[in-house]
Amino acid sequence: MTTFTKKQWIGLALGLIGLIAPFFFNIEGLSEAGHIGLGIFFLAAVFWMLEPVPIYATSVLVIFLQILLLSKEGLIFSTPTDFYNPDSYTAFIGTLASPIIILFLGGFVLADAAVKYNLDRNLTRILLKPFGDKPKYIVLGLMVVTALLSAFMSNTATTAMMMTVIIPIIARIDKSDPLRIGLALCIPFAANIGGMATPIGTPPNAVVIGTLSNQGINIPFGDWMILATPLVIIVLFLTWLLLLFMFKPSTESIQLDMSGRFNTSGNAVLLYLVFAVTVLLWVSESLHGMKSAIIALIPVVVLSVTKVITKEDIRKLPWEVLWLVAGGISLGISMKNTGLAEWIVTSIEWTSFGTITMIVAFSAVAIIMSNFLSNTVTATLLIPLAVSLATSGIAGEGFNLIIISVVIGMSASLAMVLPISTPPNAIAISTGTLETKNMAKAGFVIGVFGIALVTLYAIFYWPIMLN
Amino acid sequence: MENQIFILVVEDELEVMDALVNDLEEFETHFPIEIANSAAEAEQVVQHIIDSGSTVGLILCDHVLPGKNGVDLLIELQNENKTKDSRKVLVTGQAGLEDTVQAVNKAHLNHYIAKPWSKEALHDVVIQQLTDYVIRRKLNPLPYMSILDAGRLAESLRDNPLTDH
Repeated sequence: MTTFTKKQWIGLALGLIGLIAPFFFNIEGLSEAGHIGLGIFFLAAVFWMLEPVPIYATSVLVIFLQILLLSKEGLIFSTPTDFYNPDSYTAFIGTLASPIIILFLGGFVLADAAVKYNLDRNLTRILLKPFGDKPKYIVLGLMVVTALLSAFMSNTATTAMMMTVIIPIIARIDKSDPLRIGLALCIPFAANIGGMATPIGTPPNAVVIGTLSNQGINIPFGDWMILATPLVIIVLFLTWLLLLFMFKPSTESIQLDMSGRFNTSGNAVLLYLVFAVTVLLWVSESLHGMKSAIIALIPVVVLSVTKVITKEDIRKLPWEVLWLVAGGISLGISMKNTGLAEWIVTSIEWTSFGTITMIVAFSAVAIIMSNFLSNTVTATLLIPLAVSLATSGIAGEGFNLIIISVVIGMSASLAMVLPISTPPNAIAISTGTLETKNMAKAGFVIGVFGIALVTLYAIFYWPIMLN
Repeated sequence: MENQIFILVVEDELEVMDALVNDLEEFETHFPIEIANSAAEAEQVVQHIIDSGSTVGLILCDHVLPGKNGVDLLIELQNENKTKDSRKVLVTGQAGLEDTVQAVNKAHLNHYIAKPWSKEALHDVVIQQLTDYVIRRKLNPLPYMSILDAGRLAESLRDNPLTDH
């Protein structure tokens, strides 16, 4: 047991009060199950925001509370009522093995094996070569490679690896050269941005895809990439220009001495092969029709059968991320089924807003929230509202369910103002190369043009792609 | 004062102690420094640090001390669970071959600095030893990246990654 800070005590108390309070008040227009759902939602939101317990622990707590208080096998709803048809408990625990979780598991195994056999670093070495020795192109190269890797690996693991690449470079650059700051910022920013590109790039994407799949909407791997990659490319490019403008390099050229060679052991070669095949199958789902979660089992099966990954490697996978995502998807289930989400939506006068206003509002709220909270938590708390808005028809014709969910997912990844905004930001700041104000200024500009770009894509590009 | 990583300097000559502590000044922002003039005092200081919920990350120890000598102190600390992982460095001009062999074999001595030392060499040893300590104890390396070996700490993040959330 650890000791609680004041903030954590407040979080604990507020969360528990929030859980219990709806039992004592009768809220007009909300069913009994809706009251309980509201209590659980309140507890989850407070716990995720003030973190009296770790965020992944809140997620399993949410699943457990839903089973106890809202499932058919729980304490309250053994039979359906007029207003609530309870789900079986398997619906809630099932989120832990939902297709998006299995897809992530496949991604984790690939990424873990890639780190184990140094594939990520060797790819970096090869891919950086064409960018020469001019600082501005090196920064571009670093950003492109970082974004590419973080589309398939975790943003944080990518940042850690890229830091080992740039730390020796930074050490050789004159202390007064702003290039040092630009280098230290380009990595976490590119990692945050690159994570948007594929379903497995970063957990908020999983929440979007998982929630939509509960609505019966399946987004194939390749389709996600078609929606997200053009946005990633333009944001990445603008961020590059911004960093060059803000931190103009004074050094003429820098030497990258990345020596090393590809591991050519049997295991490593098998990994390269499995990696390539899996990614190819993922992006070509529309050609062969095999679902991405099924394809994700290929690396899991092949790499464990051939002992390319061992029991120890499996134990090291970031299982708590899967809990976090599963809890988020599970919370969405009862927000919808208890009528809670619809109640929240109908209690706000939405008709006075236009579609564009709402897209801007959701994007801005998501970016602001996820600057302070976990990106996944932000997506988890906002997407059920968007889903209810779209499915209830309140928001009107132009309000597309997929688009608004993608808006929230992308916006959650575009928050990078503070060291606490994302783990990659925290790593960059801890090197001591830059100050928080450098990060805050650049991150703020990216946030602002992020909202603008997401809105433009939501109005002009995504509707075309989805039709 | 919980969860801090201390540097312990054990040295009986005041001038030498002053010089050592002066040279270590810039580490104090992250690693508070404690001093002891004898093995007996060092044991008390270590106990005090442990009791307050912190750990000893690095011990810089002279050999010739009043009472118990430095090598025996390091062996004793090596056999204590709480100080087993502490990095142990002898800073001396007077340890004979036999004592030094003892220190390597029984105290798992991590480094030997011969007096007189240069500030740069001392810094390098302290940085590398504390980096080893942070990595071996699987501590969160982020708070130490700006002062220790950032490259090695980032590398350790690859084995023991933080995760997206």
